[in-house]
Amino acid sequence: MLFNSIDFVIFYIVVTILYFVVPHKLKWIILLAASCYFYMAFVPVYILILGFTILIDYFAGIYIENEHNPRRRKLLLAASLVANIGILFIFKYFNFLNLNVNILLNKFNYHNPIPYLTILLPIGLSFHTFQAMSYTIEVYRGNQKAERHFGIYSLYVMFYPQLVAGPIERPQNVLPQLRIRHKFSYDLMQSGLKMMLWGFFKKLVIADRLSIFVNSVYNNPDMHNGTTIAIASFFFAIQIYCDFSGYTDIAIGCARTMGFDLMRNFNRPYFASNIQDFWRRWHISLSTWFRDYVYIPLGGSKVSGKRRYLNLFIVFLLSGVWHGANYTYIIWGMLHGLYSVIYILIKPYLRKTPENKIAAALMRMGNIALTISLVTFAWIFFRAASLHDAFTLIRNLRSFGARPFIGDGVSNFAQSVLAIVLLFILEYKIEYYPEKFNFFSSPNILLRWGSLTFTILWIIVFGVFNGGQFIYFQF
Amino acid sequence: MKNKLVVRFLVRLTVFSLVLIVVDRLVGFTLKKIYFNQRVGQFSQTTYAIDSARQDIMIFGSSRAVRHYSPTILSEISGLSCYDSGRDGLMIPYSTAIEEISLSRHIPKLIILDISPRELGIDKTKYEKLSILLPYCEEHQQFIKYIKEVSRYEPEKLFSKTYPYNSSAFILANNSLFSKSVEKDDNGYLPLRGAMTRPEVKDYIKRMTVRSKRIRQNTELAEAKAVNYFKQFLDNAAKNKIKTIVIISPTILNNAFYLDNQTLERDLIEKIAGEYPNVTFLDFSTDPRFNYHPEKFADVFHLNKQGSEEFSTIIAQQIKANL
Repeated sequence: MLFNSIDFVIFYIVVTILYFVVPHKLKWIILLAASCYFYMAFVPVYILILGFTILIDYFAGIYIENEHNPRRRKLLLAASLVANIGILFIFKYFNFLNLNVNILLNKFNYHNPIPYLTILLPIGLSFHTFQAMSYTIEVYRGNQKAERHFGIYSLYVMFYPQLVAGPIERPQNVLPQLRIRHKFSYDLMQSGLKMMLWGFFKKLVIADRLSIFVNSVYNNPDMHNGTTIAIASFFFAIQIYCDFSGYTDIAIGCARTMGFDLMRNFNRPYFASNIQDFWRRWHISLSTWFRDYVYIPLGGSKVSGKRRYLNLFIVFLLSGVWHGANYTYIIWGMLHGLYSVIYILIKPYLRKTPENKIAAALMRMGNIALTISLVTFAWIFFRAASLHDAFTLIRNLRSFGARPFIGDGVSNFAQSVLAIVLLFILEYKIEYYPEKFNFFSSPNILLRWGSLTFTILWIIVFGVFNGGQFIYFQF
Repeated sequence: MKNKLVVRFLVRLTVFSLVLIVVDRLVGFTLKKIYFNQRVGQFSQTTYAIDSARQDIMIFGSSRAVRHYSPTILSEISGLSCYDSGRDGLMIPYSTAIEEISLSRHIPKLIILDISPRELGIDKTKYEKLSILLPYCEEHQQFIKYIKEVSRYEPEKLFSKTYPYNSSAFILANNSLFSKSVEKDDNGYLPLRGAMTRPEVKDYIKRMTVRSKRIRQNTELAEAKAVNYFKQFLDNAAKNKIKTIVIISPTILNNAFYLDNQTLERDLIEKIAGEYPNVTFLDFSTDPRFNYHPEKFADVFHLNKQGSEEFSTIIAQQIKANL
């Protein structure tokens, strides 16, 4: 079920009312049933895959906790991880690997007898698999007690607001919350609804508006000049941010109205002044997952320089692979790995922030612009349908400066530019003046209701209501 | 305490919802006034096509209909009045909707449908764009079945009086504030200025050839629903015994549909049109008078003023000879 659909609005209202109406001991049943229904609205049969991983990790958690022999504990953890990654591999990477084997064997005139699998990728598979894996790892590490209640554990993996596109939670944060008696809270309800509203604004007014122009360019990479491609790529950078963070805001807001506190996933990434800063602000739940479960176990930054660079590179490469079975994602990940390694290498030689305020502000602006440019360049690979398309787009970038194509009409382009300007003004305010101009929570009811009404009407007037699913659902 | 909070929340939510409904109606009412008072631009053309057009010849289609047919030339040569109901970016479902509503009010002597093979291809945007019919749904309930193509809940969304004008604000503001700078149409016709150059055509051929290698690997497939809309369009005309000309207007390349992987759709148009005795099918896509004549094209898809006037003259002579 898509958040940006009438079906979801009805679903959300019904589930939230039921959640507060039923006695505490039945709340988990309501949430679990709702989550199953939510997931089954996509492809019903895939609930079985989810059920399979839930079963494995539920028992793995208990066995790991009960087992005192370190070797066996490690084996149990490995078995659970292999099962999770195995499912991910079959559904997400098998055909990609098979295709590559095919190409390789064809070069030597051999035939690959292994057929391709004709299966759809279960929606959000990488998200809930990673969340499930974090549970068994944390139990293994002794940071989390194994959950004995099968229903509660299932809900940890399946909690509908964050089931298909995160935030990828840790058990220490979510599992205790699933047992707490959540009473109706006026403050949480209104703060959650406002967060959802902001999420819908980002998705409908900004992301889906920009997608119209982006799609028209990226679907015909051969047909556009450098200026058009540069604009479309910048638009995509904003689109994917608003699409994904919009989803996250709706997810966090939705959970908050029921009393749950999910982790933050974005922190205005396009105000990052370098690539490391960007990754501290972008998809935080995934980057901290990789930090905690890959980078640190590999030695993190406590190893020699070369090894540290390699570790960083591996993490970003894996991040690329996590996104999808396509060389475009792999190159996107590698580019970010490369950016990060280069940044660490040149960091000691970078000029310190000047004391003069204007010079410091200019330097920061320059750094932000450079970071956005690097990130946007990498997004070309992420968005392109194939490597061929990506390289065509990059080749065509050479004609930068030519008169751009502005799409189906000035109106859509103008609305796209307005949406971006609005986003930057709002994010600038939150970044630098977090305490000022908070109209949504102003004590003045006129200002508060006025701003809320204005936002809703803005969505109705400028939103795109048939924009389709969220980009990150495919992962 | 808990109940008090719930009641407080519900009361506030109800009052806020009422405020929102009132403001929505006020904004919607204002936008409606502005929309239906447009004197220039495509909104006013659509309103005229839906509510007022009573000409002898009615032209339907997408941007190629708007840009390729001069009603003045068609009228001068054929002696029949003419209106161009085409609209940029819209395709066969829209043409069928406008034809249906037009025929319920007036029976023209001749219908021209300008169609491109891509209109029968798989492309869901042709349904999404039907949302431009939303402002007319209050008056014309026949459009409800068309807007359901946009989404299942579209009729319910019309509870909002602002929603029908979604994404129109910029155009409304521009057409109202700068109406003098908006190009006036000639009975729906809006010719394009400028001309392509030979290097641009060469570059286009190069790009199309590269693209063609990629897209020709895909299976060519017509979309059943779009085909049905095309049939429905022809059925409506046949039911009212109206002579109809289905036209594929000129293209800059003579193998455009081959390169675009649309030969199947092109052949389907000819085949279906052939099933109706009142329908004449004319394909100008390989006409040497236009192919590789960049001076007659404003861009790779559209004739310019010179090209469209020459084309309109050819069509007018055909009409004169056959009517």
